[in-house]
Amino acid sequence: MKQDNNKKMSEKTLDSELVDQAKQGHMAAFEMLVNRYQQRVANVIAKLVKDRSEIEDVAQEVFIKVFRALPRFRGDSSFYTWVYRIAINTAKNHLVAKSRRIQNTQVEYEEAESFSANEAHRNLDTPDAVYARGELEQVMAKAISQLPEDLKTAIILREVDGLSYEEIAAEMACPIGTVRSRIFRARDAIDQALRPLLDKENNSKENVRTI
Amino acid sequence: MSEQSKQNISDLMDGELSRDCSRFLLKRMNHDADFRRSWNHYHLLRSAVQQDSQAPLMLDLGNRVVQRLQQSSASVVQSPKSGHRWLKTITGSAIAASVALLAVMSFNQNNVMSGDVDLGMPEYAKTSKQLINPPNAVTARVEQQPRYTRYPDLTPQVQHYIMDKNTQTAIPIYYRVWHNNQLPVQQTIQYQAGRYTDE
Repeated sequence: MKQDNNKKMSEKTLDSELVDQAKQGHMAAFEMLVNRYQQRVANVIAKLVKDRSEIEDVAQEVFIKVFRALPRFRGDSSFYTWVYRIAINTAKNHLVAKSRRIQNTQVEYEEAESFSANEAHRNLDTPDAVYARGELEQVMAKAISQLPEDLKTAIILREVDGLSYEEIAAEMACPIGTVRSRIFRARDAIDQALRPLLDKENNSKENVRTI
Repeated sequence: MSEQSKQNISDLMDGELSRDCSRFLLKRMNHDADFRRSWNHYHLLRSAVQQDSQAPLMLDLGNRVVQRLQQSSASVVQSPKSGHRWLKTITGSAIAASVALLAVMSFNQNNVMSGDVDLGMPEYAKTSKQLINPPNAVTARVEQQPRYTRYPDLTPQVQHYIMDKNTQTAIPIYYRVWHNNQLPVQQTIQYQAGRYTDE
């Protein structure tokens, strides 16, 4: 059992492999890294930046900085710890730059107050984007709620609580193979539910690009 | 894509796949968009369950980031051209300045060398009309432009006419040539009242 664990590629090693490939110029590897940590980075930014429409822009900025700083990443800390620091600094810099912009436009005090009060509730996404995102979240929530209870428990223990397969197996009193299968089936069910929606969105993006 | 491949992707993202299989799968994913799509969708589920209420759901941010990086790298690829042009201009100017400096230095050196004249060196008589290259000269000399100081008021056409008709008195110019460190050094001297004087 212990030998099997030794043979596995840990998540930290997986990140290192992807980082090495990205350093060699494999953009697909970097894309995979971004998608791996996109939500955690967005969550961190959201603690500082209250405007939801700006969070994605700041997140993009974070990963662009990450890519440019990749040659300096030595792997002393985990990849996410390193990204986290960049995300915090970028979000802070964004707020400073934004406050300067606001000062430069000489917004009246009352206007500024109403601006900041409204800011938390503002969402400057285009209506289509809001609708698409809303639809996606709805489909996702529905797909998760429709999962069989054992699949839902396995995926929550894994993705929310961050337990290993071995720990989940102990928690659910079942073999590791069963845990592996349940987690995969949960992911695959969500994938199947999302594919029509995501394919439709990708096609509409392609059409916009060709126009 | 087979079910086994999909399950391998699921195991890979959780760090539960063997090293060999992981490396193989990572290489495959670099070249297979369908594999990467499954990777992205599986992570989207992770994003959805990890999403904070304040943060929007991130959907395929990697694709947009890579697009922006490729756009910026395309603009960076263009900028070296202008940088190269700038470098080329500077290099050209530097070469021109070096040549000019060398010419001034060699001219000054000739003037300095005029102090120690070796009268034993062979001399070659030349006129303003006809220049004779010394037999051991390294570089050929071209005819000097005639100076029309004797008739400053005349137009160039009239002066040319005078020169063509050879009515102007030929003024002999004498050069003394010697070698310094195997380089020929030439000095102009004048013949005045039966003796040579340095110009």
